[in-house]
Amino acid sequence: MMKNNLTGWQEVFCFTLTQTLKSKAYQISFLILLLLSVVSAPLLQFIMPSESEDLISPIETLYIHNQSDLGPFDFTLLTQEDYYQNVLVETTSDVEKARDTITKEELNSVLLVLDDSQGYYSLEFETAKESALTDEQLNRLGADLTTLFDEQKLALLGVEVEQLNFIQAPITTLVSETDASGEAIYTEDTSISMNEYWFLYGTLFLVLMVNIMASTQIATSIVTEKSTRVVENLLISVKSLALMVGKVLAMLVSVLLQIISLIVVVFLSNQIVALLQEKESMLATIIPENIFSNINPINLLLCLLSIGLGMIFYGVLAGMFGATVSKIEEMNEGLMVFTFINLIGAYVGMGAAGSLIGAGNNPFVTFALLFPVSSPFLLPGAILLGKAGLLLSLLALGIQILSIALLFQFVAKIYEILILHTGDTIKLKALLKLSKSVKKGVSNEKSK
Amino acid sequence: MSLVVKNLSKSYGEKQVLEDLSFEINEPGVYALLGTNGAGKTTSIRMILGMLAKNSGEVYWKGKPIDAVHDNIGYLAEERGLYPKYSLLDQLLYFARLRNVKKAEAVERITYWAKRLEVEEYIFPAKNHKTKKAKTYRADQLSKGNQQKIQLMIALIADPELLILDEPLSGLDPVNTDLFKSIIKEEIEKNKFLIMSSHQMPTIEEFCTDITILNKGKVVLSGNLNQIKKSYGRVNLFIKCDADIKELIAESGLSVAGKTPSEYHLKVTSEQEAMNFLSTLIAHQIPVIKFELREPSLHELFVEKVGSANDEK
Repeated sequence: MMKNNLTGWQEVFCFTLTQTLKSKAYQISFLILLLLSVVSAPLLQFIMPSESEDLISPIETLYIHNQSDLGPFDFTLLTQEDYYQNVLVETTSDVEKARDTITKEELNSVLLVLDDSQGYYSLEFETAKESALTDEQLNRLGADLTTLFDEQKLALLGVEVEQLNFIQAPITTLVSETDASGEAIYTEDTSISMNEYWFLYGTLFLVLMVNIMASTQIATSIVTEKSTRVVENLLISVKSLALMVGKVLAMLVSVLLQIISLIVVVFLSNQIVALLQEKESMLATIIPENIFSNINPINLLLCLLSIGLGMIFYGVLAGMFGATVSKIEEMNEGLMVFTFINLIGAYVGMGAAGSLIGAGNNPFVTFALLFPVSSPFLLPGAILLGKAGLLLSLLALGIQILSIALLFQFVAKIYEILILHTGDTIKLKALLKLSKSVKKGVSNEKSK
Repeated sequence: MSLVVKNLSKSYGEKQVLEDLSFEINEPGVYALLGTNGAGKTTSIRMILGMLAKNSGEVYWKGKPIDAVHDNIGYLAEERGLYPKYSLLDQLLYFARLRNVKKAEAVERITYWAKRLEVEEYIFPAKNHKTKKAKTYRADQLSKGNQQKIQLMIALIADPELLILDEPLSGLDPVNTDLFKSIIKEEIEKNKFLIMSSHQMPTIEEFCTDITILNKGKVVLSGNLNQIKKSYGRVNLFIKCDADIKELIAESGLSVAGKTPSEYHLKVTSEQEAMNFLSTLIAHQIPVIKFELREPSLHELFVEKVGSANDEK
C-alpha cells in the first residue's frame, strides 16, 4: 500500500532536483554565497588583529627608571628572547632626559618608570605621541616585562615560586555524597564552557538556517505547482504522497549541496590563506582545539542522521502547510504555523544549551534532546560535544523516526485533498477537522 | 467490458457533490460526461482516476480496480497547467518518464506530436546562427492555444488505451478546434476508449455514442445517445416557406420553439401531425422551400433535463 503510494517519487526527485539546480535564482544565490565563502577567510584575517606579525620587535631602546626601593632589576634578560634581540636596555636615573630623548630623537623607544610610592608596584610605559609602535607591540612588551619583574621581585624578596603558589592556592571545599557502605558517590560535572556553548549555538543556528531555506523552497515549489495547475497533470501519474516525498528530498539535497559546498569552500579558503601567510589558520584560532575531541565515525553518523531526520520532519511539515495555500502570495500566511513550530523548536534548543552552561545535564536538556520539535536543533551539537550519550542519542533518533512516521500517516490522509484544494488558505483547525472527516470517509468505504 | 463505473458517490461533510454515478464503456469510442458548471463532472473524473478519495463506489478497468498510476491512461485536465519557467522539452520528457516511457521512445513520440500539432518550432527550436545554440522555449512564452497543445501531447505521450479529456476544445480558435477534433477522430479509429466532458453539444454529438448528464451531482440522463433520441421521436419540425405561415401555424395548434427571419422551428407531438401541417400548406398553395423533421438535439435534451430537474427543486 505504502509502496504503491510512493511509486514514482524517484522521477519527481530527479526532475525537481535537476530543475532547481538549473534555475537561475538558485545558481545566482549559490554563486553569491560561494564568493562570500571564498573571501571570508581573507576578510577575517584583515578584520581580526593578528597576534604577532613581526618576528623582531621594532623597539629601539628601553629606558628604565627605577623609583622604587626594590632593586636592582636586570631587564636585559628580556633581550635573550629572539623577539627582543635588537632592543637596547638602558637604566637611567634622569627620567626627564630619557623622556626628552624618546619624544624628540628616538620615537620608537620606550620609557619604563618603576614606582612603589602608592603602596604597590606600578610599571608605567611612556612613548612618543608620534611613535610608530602599535598597541599590540606595547601590550606584548608590557606583558613580558611584568612577568620578568614578578620573577625578579620574588627573588629579591626571598620568596620561592613554590612558596608563592602555596600561598596563592585557592581554598576548595568538596561536599560529597556517600552510599550505605560509606563510599563516596561522585557526580560528573557535565556543564559546558562558553566556547562549547557558542559551538552548540552555532550548530543550532546552522540547522535552523538550513531548515528554513529548505522548507521555504519546498513550500514554494508545492504552491507553484498548485497555482499553475500542474499538479492535476501530475496526479494521473504519481500519487500525491510520492509527489511530496520526491519534492521534499530533492529540495533537501539541493540545500545540503549548497551548505556542504559552502563549508568546503570556507575550509579551503581558510587553509589557502594560512598557507600563503605561513601562519595558523583563522578557523584554528577561532575554534578551540578540544571541542572536536568527541568526534568519531559513530558520533558523526548520528549527528548527520539527526540533521537529516530533522530536515525531513520539517520538510514534510512545510509541504503540508504549503499545500494549504492556493496562491503564491498567500504562502506566508500558510506557513505561519510552520514558522511558529520551527521557532519553538529553536528556542527550546537555545534554552537547553544555555542551561547546560550552569547546570550541566538536567531534565530540561533531556526533554529538549528527545522532543522531536527541538531535537533536530540541539542533538547534532550535543552529540559532537559528547553531551548526548549513545543511548540518549539513539532514543532521540528513534522518537524522531516515530514522529516522522506519524506525521506521514497524518499527511497521507489529507494531502490528496489539500493538493487539489483551491480557494482560501486552510487553517490548522480546519486541517485537523479534515483529517477526522477523511478518517470517517475511509471507514464508510470499508463498511460498504 | 472495459470501463465500469459503479455507484460512485462523494460528499464533503454534509454536502453531496456526486451521487450514485454508474456507467459502462464496453466498446471503443467516446463516452460523454455532461453537466452544468459545478455539476460534478470534474469530481467524477478525478474519482475515476483515483486522484480523489471516494465515499463509495468502484471503478474497474479491464476487469480490475483501476489504477491510474500503473494503467495506461491519458488525461487532459480542465484546468490547464504547465511549469511556466521550465523548458517544454524537459517537461514533456518528465511526464513521459512518469508514465514509464523510455527516453528514446519519448523523444520519438514528442517529435511526432510536435509536428502533428504544429509546435515543433517551440520544442525543437532551430539553432541561433550567432550563438550556435538552440533557444529552448518555456511554457510562459507560448500562447494559451499552444500551451493546450502541449497539454494534449502530455496526455497522449504514453499512447494511452483510455483517454480522458476534460473540456478539450475550450478556448481554442476554429483552426485549432478542427486540429484537435481530427486527433480525437484518429484516436477513435485506433480503437481507444475516450471519456469526454464538454459544453459544446454539437462536438459531443459529433463524437459520442453514449452520454451521462449530471445536474448538481445527480444523474439526470444516461444511456446511448441514439436510443435516447429515438425514444423522444422526431418532434422537431424545421420549415421554410416564401409566404407568411404564422396564421396557419396558429390554426394547426402547433407551438413555435424558435424562429429566424426565414425559418420556423415547430414542436410536433407526432410525425403524423407534421404531415398534416404539410398537407395544409400544400392545400393553401404555399411553396415549401424546406421541410425537415428531426429528433431532439443534444442541446435540447440537455436544457430540458437540467432545466426540469432544477424546476422540480
